[in-house]
Amino acid sequence: MVDSRTVVFFVAIAAFLVLMATIAIRSYRRARKSSDGDWEHLLKRLQVVDRSSIAEVALDIIDESGQQRRDEGSALLKPEQIWKLVGGLKGLEVLKTNCAVLIDLAFYVQQWYPEALVVAEELRLSAREIEWHVERLKSAERTGKLKSAFAMYAQPAVGKYYLMTQRLLALYEQGNLPMLADLRKAL
Amino acid sequence: MHLTGLDLLFWAAGFGAHLILLSVLLIRRRFKQFPIFTAFIFANVLRTIALYFVGRLGTKAAYFYTFWSLGILDTLLQVSVVYEMYALTFRPLGRWARDTRAAFKRLAMSTIVVAAGLTWLAAPHARLWIQVVVIKGTFFSSVLMSELFVGMIALSVKAGLPWKTHVARISQGLGLYSAVDVLVEAGHSYFGVGPSAQIYTTLSHVRMSAYLTCVGYWVVMLWREAPAGREMPGRFLSQLIQLKDVADSDLERIRVRK
Repeated sequence: MVDSRTVVFFVAIAAFLVLMATIAIRSYRRARKSSDGDWEHLLKRLQVVDRSSIAEVALDIIDESGQQRRDEGSALLKPEQIWKLVGGLKGLEVLKTNCAVLIDLAFYVQQWYPEALVVAEELRLSAREIEWHVERLKSAERTGKLKSAFAMYAQPAVGKYYLMTQRLLALYEQGNLPMLADLRKAL
Repeated sequence: MHLTGLDLLFWAAGFGAHLILLSVLLIRRRFKQFPIFTAFIFANVLRTIALYFVGRLGTKAAYFYTFWSLGILDTLLQVSVVYEMYALTFRPLGRWARDTRAAFKRLAMSTIVVAAGLTWLAAPHARLWIQVVVIKGTFFSSVLMSELFVGMIALSVKAGLPWKTHVARISQGLGLYSAVDVLVEAGHSYFGVGPSAQIYTTLSHVRMSAYLTCVGYWVVMLWREAPAGREMPGRFLSQLIQLKDVADSDLERIRVRK
């Protein structure tokens, strides 16, 4: 006769092994997704957003070169307006997804181009930190404190996103990459 | 101590497989990249020799203490191998990646808590307290090891840090073996050590078969060379440097606003 403790023990073992297998398989799939394809395919995963809204939010605090604006006409947007222009939490998700693209880019480079290790690692760390800031905004949203946190984190994060898309477009132009027209259209 | 023909076969196969693996590590000069893993394999060779002589010439008690003392050493070396694999993955520039330190602490805490919880649930059927300690200890170790390897996979993917080819192969082998070992040790706990210890011995043979498969896998994978790195086109490198600069400057802006 099997006692209840033994039953609990084996159920716990089964749950443990299923959980371990699930985590391992999901991680392998994600790693494969990060390293598969080529440079252009990785960049192509950049998600599309309303560029004019993003630009409006970003250019409220920075200029086209990325410098902080200190003139009288700067920082006029209110948190509610920024929220609406960004597209709320969905917009923040896009920001996070695009940071994940950067991390995958660093993953790809580290894996295949050892001589670029230093640059790739620095890029990865920066992208991870940006992702962390976006995550804080999402946490604030979940706890109902987004309004106060938004003013602090969202606009600089959107500014970063805007500059990043600008830079990506420039890179596509410089590299004369084949999907430049599509990307321009999307952005 | 009475050993059956099958026991001797496993003993000889294990000894031979470790010697072959050690030769591969030396001939292919992998010991430079994996000194702890090499020490682990070397210790297994020495352990087999020591147990052979103690089994032939010593008392039953001497064999028991030698076996379990070396078993503890083996477990410590396995944990050290885990450390080596973590270090090779999470220290891409020779220092621990700063974004993974907090995750390491959480991982260490949660793995110990889960392993301790499952071990607490185990109620081995054994006559002597030392047998209970041994069964629970090996079970705890197997759960911990499998957690650490899965945690390493998950953490490296989350952080965006790739595995070096041979690190991946060693980790896969040890991780899968640990998962099989969890089942075997759970079986040991349930069936316990009966008067004939037949089921206990059969389960041990299953574990040894899994380990021999794992050693065979290491022999093949560590003999092969890792794929050579590609030369990065200059255009891509300059793109990467520009991207990094943008990320850095934007990050500074976010930090200032904090």
